[in-house]
Amino acid sequence: MSHMTETKWRALDYCKNNINDQNNADTTQDADQAVSNQQISDEWIIIKDSENIDVTTTDRQAAVSLQLGIEAAIAAVISIAIGGSASQGISQDINQMIGTRQGNRQKTIVEQSSDIQITTTDTDIAVNIQLLFQVLATIVASLDIL
Amino acid sequence: MTYMAGDQSNHNPIPEKVVKLMVDDVFRKNNVKPEEVKNNISNEQRQMLKEMVEDLKKQVEQFNNGDKNTNKTSE
Repeated sequence: MSHMTETKWRALDYCKNNINDQNNADTTQDADQAVSNQQISDEWIIIKDSENIDVTTTDRQAAVSLQLGIEAAIAAVISIAIGGSASQGISQDINQMIGTRQGNRQKTIVEQSSDIQITTTDTDIAVNIQLLFQVLATIVASLDIL
Repeated sequence: MTYMAGDQSNHNPIPEKVVKLMVDDVFRKNNVKPEEVKNNISNEQRQMLKEMVEDLKKQVEQFNNGDKNTNKTSE
């Protein structure tokens, strides 16, 4: 067996009195699945053997409800303006237009570190929201609502 | 140390003209003429839809401007 000249630095070795109120993070997020459009988005943030890590991520719940809100608004505009059987075809076509986003996966791993700030953006859902709103704004503009 | 993942920009993912083209195409394929259809909407409905869109616009802006969660850990 070879000589161990240096032992691995381990953050927890220094964490004797570190049980405080800030320790409320749920930093390993479960695989989330956005409700609409076969869009799958996983975000993993794995923090191991580290201390003082600040994590800023996209609020997925807010993102998904905003996405649903815009989708509902598009449906409402189409239904009010066009109504009847035509609105079904249009809704289908619009869904096809916005329903081809690809899934996004990102993993962030922090190991044996201290005092690190992490900011991740779920670009996929951000883009999807932006696109959805663009479609809504365009529909509303061509119907002269704004 | 700050690590940034992803694009923070608020630019439209697809040019406005392209979206307009696509939406117009959907209308055309379904025989919908926006000039005629817009008369189906009453003033009251128009006002409500307008408020709804403006409300959503605010929410989208808020979302893009990083209305985010921060979690702290000392573990």
